[in-house]
Order: sequence, then C-alpha cells, then structure tokens
Amino acid sequence: MTPSFLLVLVPLLPLLAALATVIGGRRLGPRAHLPAVVGIAAAAVVALSLLVVTARSRGSAETPRPVDMVTTLWQWATVDDAYAPAHDSHAAVPGTAVGEDAYSARPFSISIAMRLDPLTATMLVIITSVGLLVAIYSIGYMHDDPGYPRFFALVAMFVFSMSMLVAASNFLLVYVFWEAVGACSYLLIGFWFQKPEAAKAAKKAFLVNRIGDFGLAVGVFLLWLTYGTLDFHDTLSPDGTILPGILGQTRLADVSGYVGGIVGTAICLLLLLAACGKSAQLPLHVWLPDAMEGPTPASALIHAATMVTAGVYLVARSAPLFMACPGALVTVSIIGTTTALVAALIGTVQNDLKRVLAYSTISQLGYMFACLGTGTLLGFTAAIFHLLTHAFFKALLFLGAGSVMHSMGGVIDMRRFGGLRKLMPITATTFLIGSLALAGIAPFAGFFSKDEILASLHSKGWPDVHHSTENGHHAMIPELPSALSHSGTMHDVGYRGVSNYDNHSSSHQTSDVVGLDALNQPAVWKALFWMALVTAGLTAFYTFRAVFMTFTGPLRIPDEAGDHAHESPSVMTTPLLILAIPATFIGFILFTTDGLAHFLAATPSFTTPSIVKTATASVFHWDLAIQGTLAAALGIVIAAVGHLGRRSDGPQLERWLGPVRPFLEHRMFIDQLYAAVIVKPIEAIAFLAAIFDRSFIDRSVRFVAHLPLALGSVVRQLQSGLLQRYALAGVIGVLAIIVFLAWRL
Amino acid sequence: MTPFVRLFAGTGNLEFLSPGILLAVAVTCLAVSLYLLLPKSGRDGKASRRIGWLLGLITLGLFIATGQRLGNLGEETVFLTVSLVAVISAAATITCRSPVYAAIWFALCLAGVSGVLLVLGAQFLGVATIVVYAGAILVMFLFVLMLAQPSGLTTSDRVTNEPLLSAVAGAVLLGLLSLSIGRLSAEEPLCCRPPSKAAALGATTVEKIPTESVNLLASDQVARLGGELFGHHLVAVEAVGILLLVALIGAIAIVSNGLEGSQAETSSLQEGSHS
Amino acid sequence: MTTLILLGTALALLQNGLVVGAILFSLGLIGILSRRNLIVMFLSAELMLQGISVSLVAWSRYHGDFGGHVLVIFVLSVAACEAAIALVFVLQAFTRTGRLDSAAWQTLREATLDRSVDHEIPSLDTSTPSFPRLTPAGRSPDTDEHAGMQRDHV
Repeated sequence: MTPSFLLVLVPLLPLLAALATVIGGRRLGPRAHLPAVVGIAAAAVVALSLLVVTARSRGSAETPRPVDMVTTLWQWATVDDAYAPAHDSHAAVPGTAVGEDAYSARPFSISIAMRLDPLTATMLVIITSVGLLVAIYSIGYMHDDPGYPRFFALVAMFVFSMSMLVAASNFLLVYVFWEAVGACSYLLIGFWFQKPEAAKAAKKAFLVNRIGDFGLAVGVFLLWLTYGTLDFHDTLSPDGTILPGILGQTRLADVSGYVGGIVGTAICLLLLLAACGKSAQLPLHVWLPDAMEGPTPASALIHAATMVTAGVYLVARSAPLFMACPGALVTVSIIGTTTALVAALIGTVQNDLKRVLAYSTISQLGYMFACLGTGTLLGFTAAIFHLLTHAFFKALLFLGAGSVMHSMGGVIDMRRFGGLRKLMPITATTFLIGSLALAGIAPFAGFFSKDEILASLHSKGWPDVHHSTENGHHAMIPELPSALSHSGTMHDVGYRGVSNYDNHSSSHQTSDVVGLDALNQPAVWKALFWMALVTAGLTAFYTFRAVFMTFTGPLRIPDEAGDHAHESPSVMTTPLLILAIPATFIGFILFTTDGLAHFLAATPSFTTPSIVKTATASVFHWDLAIQGTLAAALGIVIAAVGHLGRRSDGPQLERWLGPVRPFLEHRMFIDQLYAAVIVKPIEAIAFLAAIFDRSFIDRSVRFVAHLPLALGSVVRQLQSGLLQRYALAGVIGVLAIIVFLAWRL
Repeated sequence: MTPFVRLFAGTGNLEFLSPGILLAVAVTCLAVSLYLLLPKSGRDGKASRRIGWLLGLITLGLFIATGQRLGNLGEETVFLTVSLVAVISAAATITCRSPVYAAIWFALCLAGVSGVLLVLGAQFLGVATIVVYAGAILVMFLFVLMLAQPSGLTTSDRVTNEPLLSAVAGAVLLGLLSLSIGRLSAEEPLCCRPPSKAAALGATTVEKIPTESVNLLASDQVARLGGELFGHHLVAVEAVGILLLVALIGAIAIVSNGLEGSQAETSSLQEGSHS
Repeated sequence: MTTLILLGTALALLQNGLVVGAILFSLGLIGILSRRNLIVMFLSAELMLQGISVSLVAWSRYHGDFGGHVLVIFVLSVAACEAAIALVFVLQAFTRTGRLDSAAWQTLREATLDRSVDHEIPSLDTSTPSFPRLTPAGRSPDTDEHAGMQRDHV
C-alpha cells in the first residue's frame, strides 16, 4: 500500500461508486445509497491514512522537509515542438543560462499526475469526511424522492471530482475538475428540475461560474506561455534535464523563479477571478443564495464545505505566484473583506434560514480570502484552518437547517415557525453548537480560526506593533530548507518583520500595472481589519437571530408540516451529532498543538522563500481575542434583545434600520444591476441578431434555394411536348458543335 | 487527319463561294428568304412572299455564279435546268400552304431530281425515282390527304413551328455543307479505297479520276448494276425484300388493330376544326 | 491538258451534284422542323431522302462505281416501307384527334406548362380570285337566228 496507490484510491472509489449507482441504481431501489456511502466511507478511511502518511514523512520538528509525493498515472496528451520559449523567459531552469540552443521547442505534454502534500491531504480529509456524513444524512432526507439513485450518483461523482481537483498536479487537470465540480453543482442545484426556480438557479450558477472558468482558462494559457509547463511538479525532459514545474521544488527555491509585473499580476488576477466565481466572492457571488433551491444535503456538501472552497484552495496552492505580485495579493484581501462585510449585511435581514446560511458562507469565504491576501505564512495557514473549521460547522448548520425543513414539511421561512427547541432537541443543540462556532465564541472551533485571521490582518495593519514574545504561547515555524538549498539562505530562527516585499526578487518587469501595488499600505490593512471585526459582530448577530427566531419563543408549526413535525430520524441526527464534535473541539486541538500550522508549513507551495521570509509565528494574541469576542458578544446580545423569546413573525428589530433595510433585503440590488447592465443588453443584441438572422441570412439561404427552382422553371419551357421543337433543338445543337469545330480548325 | 477534319481543311483550289463573305451573304439571304416564305402568323402578305422568292433567287444566283463550270455547255445547261427545277420545286413544297399543292410541287421536284440523276449518269435510278416516288409514294400521300383533309386548308397549315430558327438552322447547315464541298480537291483523297478491292472490281479507277471508259456509263449499265446488286449485295437485297414484306404486314396489322380499338375513341375525341 | 480539264470537270460535276443534294437536304430539313401538317412533314422527309440520293449518285459517278447506286436503291426501298408505315400512323393519329396537326400531340410536355395554342392565325384568303374580264369590243353583231341556221357560207 504505497502512498501513491492510496492517493489514487481516494478519487477512484467514489468514481466507481458513482458508476455503480448510475448503472444499477434503479435496481437497488431503496438501497441505492449503498455504493455511494460505501465508496465515500472507504475513501474517507484512505484519506485519513494518507494524512498519517503525510504527517509522518514530514520529518521531525527540528528538521522538517517539504512533502511532495507525485504519482503519474499516464500521459494524456503530448504535442511535440509546441513551444519555443523566448531567451529570457522564466521557462528556463533557474540558475542556468538560457542559450539559443538551450530550448528550441518544448513539447506540450499533459500527464495525469497527482501530488500528495499536506495541503492536499487536509483537503482530502475534509472532502471525504463531510461527504460521508452528508451521504448518510441524505439517506433520511431524500428518502421518498423519485430521484434517489441520481442524488447519490451525483454526490459520489462530486466527491470524485473534488478529490481529483485538490490532488491534481497539473493546472490543466485542475481546470478539468474545476469544470467537473461546476457541472456536479449544476446538476445538484437543479436536482428538482421540474421546479422552474431550481432550473433557473442552476443555470445562473453555471453561467456565473463560467465567467470564473474563463478567467481560469486564460490564466492557464498565460501560465503556459510564461513558464513553459503546466505541471506543479518538476519533470524530467527526454534529454535528462529537469523541467521545473510551476510549483516544483526547483522553482520554489529560486528567488527569481516567479514572474511579477504585468504578466504575473495578470495571471494572479485571472486566477482570482476564477476563485471569485467558484467561491462566490464579489461580484460573482450572486449564484450562491439562489443555489439554495437544491436539496439541503447538496447545499451542505457543495455550497458550504467543499466546492466553494475550491477557490480558496486554488489561491493557496498558487501562493508562490501571488507572492510575486503584491498588488494581486492586496486585491485578494480587499475583495475578500468587502465580500465578507457585504454578505454579512445582507444576511442580517434574510428571513429564509438557508439564505442566511448562504450569505454566511459567502461571508466566511470572504474571511478566508482576506487572510490569504496578507501573504504571510500565518495568513495562508489561517485560511486553511478556517476552511477546515468552517467546513465542519457550516455543514452542521446546513444539515440542521435541512432537518428543520424536513420536519416543517418543506417550509424554511423562519417567520412561519418558531420555538422548535422542545420539538427537536438534538437539532436545536447541534445547531446551537454550530452557531457558537460560527460566531467565534471560545472554545468552539470558529473562535481560533477567526482569531488567526484577525491576527494576520492586524499584523499587516500594524507591522511594528506586532511582537510576540510576551503574548502567550507562540510557536515558531523553523526555516524549511528547499530541496536544492542554495547557499546561505538560512535565516535566523526568529521572528521577522512582515511585508518586506522589497526583498522579493528583481523580476523582469517591475512596473506597477494598475496601481495595485500602491494599495499595499498599512492604512489599507487597518481599514480591512476594522471591516473584518465589524463583520465578526454582524456574523454573530445574524447567526443568533436565526437561532432565536427558529428555536426560541412560542412553539409554532406551519400547516405543511402535517405529521412530520418531530425530531428527525436517527439517520439524520447522527451525522449532526458527529459533526458537532469537530465543530466543538477541532479548533482547540489544532491550535494548541500547532498541528495544522506545522503540518501545512511542509506544503511545497508554502515553502517558497518569499513567504518564509515574511513568516510570522502563530501566536495567540489576547488583545485580538478580546476584541473578537467582544464583537461577537455584542452581536449576540443585540440579537437576543431583538428576537429571544419573541414570536418570529412579529415586528422585527431590523425595522429600525429604516430605508437601509429594503436595500439589504433586495440584496443590494446587485442582481438587478446585473440584469440591467449585462442581461438586457445581451438580450437586445440577441434580438437584433435574431432579426438579422431572419431577414438577411434566411433570405439569402432561401434565395440560394430559389435559384435552381428559377433556373428549372426557365429550362422547363423547353419541354413543351412538341416534338418538332425537340428536333429543332437537336439540330441546332449539332450545328453548334460542327460550327465550333470548323471554326477552331 | 481524320476525315471529319479533312472536310473543312481541304485545300481545294476549285473553291466556290470562296470569299467567306459570299458564303455568309448567301446563308443570310437563304435564311431570310425561307423565313419570309414559310407560312406563319403575323404579317404574311403577298409582298413578303415576293421578297422571299426574290431573295431565294438571289441566293441561287450566288451559288450558280460561283460554282464550277462543267466542261460541256450542253451538259451545263441541262444540269442547270433540271437542278433549278428541283430546287425551286423543293422550296415551293415546303412553303406552300395547301398540302395538296405541296404534294404536286413535290412531284415536280421529283421530276427535277430524276433529271439530275440522269445527268449524273444513273439511268436506272432516274427512272426508278419517278416510278417509285412519284408513282407510288406520292399517290399514297394524296390518298391520305383525301381521307384526312379533303377540304383543303386547316388552321395548322397556316402556321409553322419556329420559322425563324428552322430557317436559320437549315441555312447554316447548307452553309457548312457548301463550305466543305467547296474545299474538295482532286489531289487529296477524302477516303481511301483499298487498292485490292478496286482491282477485284475490275474498275479502272484506282485513282479517283474516272476515264471515259468507265463502265459506269456503259450501255449495259442497268445490267451491270443488277450484277453488282445481286452479286456483291445479295444478302442486303434479300433483307430489303423481307423488310418490304414486314412493312406490308405491319401496316395491315396496325390498321386492323386500330380499326377494332378506335371505335370508341373516334366518337369521343373528334375535336378537329376543319375550316 | 485534257486530263486536267477532265479532272476539273469531274470534280465540278461532283461538286455541283453535291451542292444540289445539299440544298435539297437542307430544304427538307427546314420543312420537317417547321411545318405542322403531318403529310407535309413526311413530304419534307422524302425531300431529304432525295437530296441524299443525288449526293450518293454524284459520289458514285465521281468514283466510277456502283456503290452509290446500290445504296440509293436501298434508300428507295426503305423509303417506300417507311412511307407506308408512316401513313398508317398518320391515319391512326388522325382518327384519334381528328386533324393532321403535329401540335395536337403535346402530352409529353412538363406537367406545369400549359398547352401551347396558336395565336394570330392568319386569315384565310377566301375571296375568290378576281378573274380578268374582257372589255366588250364593239357592238354585238346582229344575228338572224333563222338565217344563222342556214348559212351557206361563213
């Protein structure tokens, strides 16, 4: 059982399960869930073992080394002589001179290669475990649905696609599976396709994602042009030289391995566009709230825990690329923080429980992007940490919401029910745990991850304030040697300042493209920090508003509930209970042991010297912790004042918002803006094109079709039925031939 | 060179209608004259017919003027006379309105043709033409006219199909034929006779120059023709005899079938307009 | 010299004969293509055959043998057969349609075309020709009928 075999198993088992469900699902009847559940469970076990393997091969704490195990399955496509790099291109092996005869042509080859490193292992565990719990939950939730086998086939297919996405070692493969998860999302959102709203929502999700996919495609093209390869890992060319992969050890060790300037920023912004599309950041966030039309387990799996985190994964994986473009990094943070704030504001006035959770997801993803953009090891680690904790508690919240929806007969408008804590105690308790984690209350999981996020933002805003010695327990990330250790780049083991991008490589193009670099000011970071803090308060507010409206107050059950109004069956509550455990403890465990930080630091992408140079230790800052908790507490208190114990359909506290409230209720009119700016002009163009097509093109085609008819009707006059005319025609023909021949002679 | 090519590429020094312009003029004249002469709808008065005849005569004059002289004046006169009779009668045949008159003109044409054949030395054929054609075929035509159209003219006799195109086609054909005839020459043979065959026939014309002692013009020409016919072409003669028999039987057969079958149609399909 | 003249005359005779044949053939062709009366059409066909006969005999005279003659005899025979059968057909056609017009048979035309009919048929000149009349000359003589019966001299 080599690690490569295990790595292949993780996506393979759900794929086989999906195929089995597709082929034999109908025949299995009520047991159609079995292949999917078994497959994903097996994959989860394998993923856990891979985690162990990766952790072990990290080396000891004193001499860590990056983990980088590549498995190449087969060569998918090869085009010889596809590319001749320019002289000073970064396609050269760092450290060697690029001569004219060094590279005449580079073959374009895509191999199906998978790479195991700590980031991948973490993501695989998240994907498979949450997937497994969602699959078990769906056994109960989708019980009577006619599309029962189809659902499990799609879930298994999704787990396969997402696993391959995080395990792929090639940008083209990432693109392929990026599209695949988009397709699975489309199919799952539109699962009940007979409902027009669901079909529309699925279409909207797919189209908005398409914009991101376009960015990813162009980004991949630019990557190929700039770096000469699309592989993450280093490969051997036929003549024995090393072809440095984009995220391979060779290039990571080189200070000038990555392109900055216009090209680099363009690449990073395109990747950011793709991430915005998939992770529902501004301005491409419009699809996620509508995606709640799909079944709740699908929302839990895809739109909370896993698919929407693909964008975060992509940016994290491309960390070395981003580190070469400071402007792109600050853009990431700005977009993330803005999204977080906007989504939190909109979420405060939503009355649909799932919509609240959807906006909460957008907001939390914004947090992840915010700290990704800080460019510090702390930032990257915090993002992944928050991704991990968010996956668990958001899945928990969604599954809880699904449980509520299931027992309320499909009603999810919070104003129509209330006081469900006595009716559904397990759901209520687990929902409360998840809400506490989301709000960031110690010692639940969200507290620690949010604290790290705020810390990374704070460290950028106040670079000189930050010192770590007297504030509690800290851990140092020792310098990780790169595979080819160039001489003397071992820094002091200690704390270094942040944001010294000027140490960064002298890249070839140093011009600041659109003035993005100018945004990299402490003032901007300060503003982002305050925005993040306010968002933390808002998060707590809307979360507990939802909790209080749903579970407190007098018991009210809508009519659609019928005899459903009871606690969900154990097949549905067991995953809730299981999820509640990590939601409670995982933050504490991982933080206090610094396991995750150390673990992730062995990811090759995070070992690039630019990050390491700007590393900050992960510390526990009491001041930030107190600020965060205060904000959250304030939010909870206001929510309690407004909603605790009251009827959920009564006049709401939010009416005090005045005219702002309708603005927020209509989601800040962003959808309407899109409709006016993009949709209507396209419809107008389509209308004009239709007119052009009908009047011009159709007419020309009909005209061409008419020509033989016209010609025929002229020639047809010859067939008069009068034999003498036929004879005359014959005679004239013969004479014409003879005259012609006589003339020529 | 293929024979076809030689038709138009001959270098005969006895060309007639030799300048091309004359040929074109002759052809045009002929076309216009026949167009005017043919019965057609539209202006068809006496004046146009007269102009047509005039143009036709001009064309004939051109042919005669540029043609070759036969050596002998008498022969020349006789040939010219009979050929004029034949040609003018032929023109009258096709342009006459009444079919009966056309048949009569045809008889006159046959007389002319017979004369031409006699001048060319075909004694038997000259007489046979009169006997068979004028005596039998023409009379049959007249009988049919009597049965079918005894009253004379019908509307269909006063119009023709595409008079202009037909006239032009015929005139162009005549022009082409005249062109090729005019380019015949004595030196270049148009087609080769295998010398052995000529020797076997006993003909003295291995070259194509006939001498006076050609047996073609011998006094027992008819007997020699008979000998040739029943000697070298016996099978063909017998076949022609059978053909005549078959035609006879066939004609009777068709008529008898038609008699039985067409009783019903005769009554229902009578839609003639005799006028 | 005589030979030359003889050469020339032989060729001249040939050419003249061929020209006559060509003219007859062309006239016959025009007749077949344009006249509508079936009988006149066949007359024109016979005219073409006459032209052929003249041409064949002219060649035969030029070459000095009987090939052309023989062929003309066959042409004659076949023309006779053809005339017989053709006239039978003409009579059948007449029986079916009641007239000898070749334009009566148009069923082979395209289905979408209309039947072609005659326009502007020139009128028949039915007026009797005016015969010349002699002007009366002088006084009509006195005649004694009785005396005229017993004339002993005139």
